[in-house]
Amino acid sequence: MMRDETTAAAIRACAASRHLDEFHTEKWLAMLTPSRMALLDVAERLKLRTGQLVATIDLLDEIEIREGASPAATLAREEIRRACLSQGSAPWRAAAFIEALRRIRFPQLQAAMDRLSSEIAALKLPVGVSVVLPKDLGSDELMIRISARTGRELEKLLEALADKKADLIRIVNKIGGEDDA
Amino acid sequence: MKFDLDAIYVEEDCRDTPLARRVIARAQSIAPIDFIEDGRIAARPRADVADSFAAGKRNIVIMRRRAPFLMACPAGSAKFACCGYLVLTLSSNCPMDCSYCFLQEYVADNPGFQIYANYEDAFVELEKLSASAPARHFRVGTGELADSLAMDSLTGLSIDLVNFFAARENLTLELKTKTDEIENLLTIDPRGNVLVSWTLSPRRVFEACEHRTASPSQRIEAARRVFDAGYRVAFHLDPIIAYRDAERDYVELMDELFATIPPAKISFISMGGLRMTPALRTAARRRFPKDAMLVGEDVLAEDGRYRAFTPLRLRLYKILADKFKTAGAEVPSYLCMEAASVHERVFGGPTSHPSIAGERLAIAR
Repeated sequence: MMRDETTAAAIRACAASRHLDEFHTEKWLAMLTPSRMALLDVAERLKLRTGQLVATIDLLDEIEIREGASPAATLAREEIRRACLSQGSAPWRAAAFIEALRRIRFPQLQAAMDRLSSEIAALKLPVGVSVVLPKDLGSDELMIRISARTGRELEKLLEALADKKADLIRIVNKIGGEDDA
Repeated sequence: MKFDLDAIYVEEDCRDTPLARRVIARAQSIAPIDFIEDGRIAARPRADVADSFAAGKRNIVIMRRRAPFLMACPAGSAKFACCGYLVLTLSSNCPMDCSYCFLQEYVADNPGFQIYANYEDAFVELEKLSASAPARHFRVGTGELADSLAMDSLTGLSIDLVNFFAARENLTLELKTKTDEIENLLTIDPRGNVLVSWTLSPRRVFEACEHRTASPSQRIEAARRVFDAGYRVAFHLDPIIAYRDAERDYVELMDELFATIPPAKISFISMGGLRMTPALRTAARRRFPKDAMLVGEDVLAEDGRYRAFTPLRLRLYKILADKFKTAGAEVPSYLCMEAASVHERVFGGPTSHPSIAGERLAIAR
């Protein structure tokens, strides 16, 4: 186990190498030893870039406030460990790690996104039609994109959409807070 | 309610105004009084303190307002359905300290608690407004950049305001507050032209966020007392915070309200979800790092503000709108800073033009 001053020096070195701002560096240093070390381990193993490190520190802090779970406890969770140890390049694993943290930070949002995405997938719309949920469900606007090259192709896609009219209305209403969304 | 003050600064030019005289007479034992050349300098952020916004709250600056008093509500935008509210800025900043307050960003560059001594100039602007459209009704509020009543025991402003509005048929004054500072109001007759409104939050939000305010129950009790004294009353569920159990807590809050004031007698209840620009969110999180209400499931919405993600926020609105509808007598309601499509989803119909909405709210009950 590294001594506190040793971990502080290692954290400062890691923060400096990534040009991490003072506010987030101090936030990191203010963590208890198991948490600050767990974060240092992840930051180095996944080669987190500056923005990713900022996001990680903020997400860990917000999870602690919301759930009462220390950063060390959050970083030890199975889904986080899985993301860190998964196959793939360091940038890919870093992205998967941040996404896993976001799922913990925004549980209701993720559940709503998953439900709506499954409903869209269940529509089995043809290639050429895509239904796009608003980013992070940040608005009530559902976007439907149609791409066709010929009149016949467009007609078929529009017919397929018309067949799913009721389902699409149900989905847009769920984005607007109806039912269990 | 009594608030801690570090100092009161009075602009030399204002020392003989009725407002300055009242404050000086009443505040001598509360805080040291200094006379200064230019109040704008005293209102600037202090470099020698860590939290200049909080410091500003404890320094009253009695000064002349150099800009117009009357303006359209700054929350209005083409992006949102608008309630037609007009804002009368008689003071800026507030002695209370809500963790979500937009003033943390809005007055960051001049956080001194300014109270404008030349408020009678506002009456000239109001006379012009009234005469410009005698057949229309306007709702004019003083609670946008400050709490309307927080310092009323010191300033006595409410008495002059209520007396002015009581004599103007097409102007309605809205005094918006989170206090129970109503003693002055109880001494005068509003003649139906004054609305007193309270921002209400469940107890959990009050305890976590609304520092130095009256409790929700104290606010409701104060509303009952002014209602009994002949004032119209209204309420703002704003911000609505979508924390766990929020649905239950907001419905219980409405039950408490409706048990105290008959729904049929409430002029309106507005709703607005917690919304924060990135800069406000940063400022608020730095000032209140452990406030769990500031770390809800908020995402960057299309207007560039952090808001509870759409289905979560709209579900809360709908539950409350249903509560208003089934409360015995339908309570008029509107949404603050939400798009027309959100209004339609929540209330089931299109929104009104701002002037019509404003008129409807000005004369409601």
